[in-house]
Amino acid sequence: MTISHLSHLQCSGCGQEYSHQEVHTFCPTCQSPLLAIYDLQEARQQVDRDEISRRKKGMWRWSELLPVLNIENQIFLGEGDTPLLSLPHLEKELGLSHLYVKDESSNPTGSFKARGLAAAVSKAKELGIQKVIIPTAGNAGGAMAAYAARAGLKAYIFMPKDTPFANIEESRMAGAEVALVDGLISDAAGMAGEKARAEGWFDVSTFKEPYRVEGKKVMGYELAETFDWSLPDVIVYPTGGGTGLVGMWKAFAELEELGWLENTKRPRMVSVQADGCAPVVKAFQAKASFCDFWINAHTIASGLRVPKSFADHLILQDIYESEGIAIAVSDEAILESQKQLASMEGIFAAPEGAATLAALKELIQQKWVSPDERIVLFNTGSGLKYLDHKS
Amino acid sequence: MTPNILYIEDNPDNTMLVRRALEARGYKLLNSVTGVNGVNIAETEDISLILLDINLPDIDGYEVARRLRASPKRSLASTPIIAVTANALKGDAEKALNAGCDVYMSKPINIRELWARVEAFVPMP
Repeated sequence: MTISHLSHLQCSGCGQEYSHQEVHTFCPTCQSPLLAIYDLQEARQQVDRDEISRRKKGMWRWSELLPVLNIENQIFLGEGDTPLLSLPHLEKELGLSHLYVKDESSNPTGSFKARGLAAAVSKAKELGIQKVIIPTAGNAGGAMAAYAARAGLKAYIFMPKDTPFANIEESRMAGAEVALVDGLISDAAGMAGEKARAEGWFDVSTFKEPYRVEGKKVMGYELAETFDWSLPDVIVYPTGGGTGLVGMWKAFAELEELGWLENTKRPRMVSVQADGCAPVVKAFQAKASFCDFWINAHTIASGLRVPKSFADHLILQDIYESEGIAIAVSDEAILESQKQLASMEGIFAAPEGAATLAALKELIQQKWVSPDERIVLFNTGSGLKYLDHKS
Repeated sequence: MTPNILYIEDNPDNTMLVRRALEARGYKLLNSVTGVNGVNIAETEDISLILLDINLPDIDGYEVARRLRASPKRSLASTPIIAVTANALKGDAEKALNAGCDVYMSKPINIRELWARVEAFVPMP
């Protein structure tokens, strides 16, 4: 049964349209990411947002706005509908009134990557793909391995050799073939791309296929729904590949076009990176449209060790459009914030998630946020997957 | 006068993509499929900018960059070089910049970024 209102794929660079019935990676004409476009006028007439709210919890309750056509192809491991938690002790400490964290650690495989890989692997299955390959800084590999196992697809994963052990082990346990690379995710991406081309594996690299961002955008839908169909004032988001930031911005535009928002005021998007790998911050400060490749990337937040995202122009475009900001924080500040989140609020966040609190403290000092604003931090994963740094 | 851009690249698909993109913006593209020949072209033609693949069939792109920077044709010491590579192995970007390249780009080449990078050095004619 076809339930999705998916219309076509469109290049984010040149606007060229492609069929969603065929397998596509990125735009062959200008080599920019492809994005999924929906017939939102049709959806507006046929889909009731309140009916979606009454459905069984999980990412796929938004099926009409996701790319999988046939519900039988949806791979569900419990992803989505993560809690939006208030942070009362940190509110008091920081002098804020409405501080929240969207805690993505309760997703399958312990991170937000489950959302994107649920969508991408499900769509790959629907398109008849049998072998998927991914370069990863860690959590995306574990997520892909799990969803590929459930879908009956073969998975090949390239990850830096210093990736947290939990990510390596969970990938292997799920039956994926894992290659450890002496380098960064960019090195892993080069190798994965070569293998994909040489042996016909489908490359599920960030933004080199159109569907991971579709799973991630649901974070934006959930936020709107939780805030009674309005949006927070500020979203503080850790940025590696940038799929979540771009996805949420896409979600907000779609919700607006659907007429589902009671208040269309968009949040200011804060992109958080680490001092040791901050290509988006550098480009933002230079008011550039693209990032330079970051040399000698290093940070304990392995998900932020992305020297250059394939979708850098989309990340920057969305930050500029939202009147947001990009900010880098030190590893020391990340660790301090990680401890604060755990000891004050009981949330053992991934370093990437803790980085958002470190960034918020900077933004308060800069008076970039005001005390009465509704601010949402994103904890993208569980701190339990990063215990290597604690030993 | 139409600015000449030299693309040292042995993959015809990449060359065709870049040729189409840059010629659409009014640049003239010269191509060499080897590093040694690329250095020769740079030394004999009037070149405004060089796009340099790192994995070439004879000498690698780092060596090409070093030879260009040390060329007796003194203008090549400051001709912009953009390194482009698919084989993003550890330290490639550092090596490219140390060899004298001005910018490092990884494949697949985003055409809008290519335009922006090229136009930053050589304004569109």
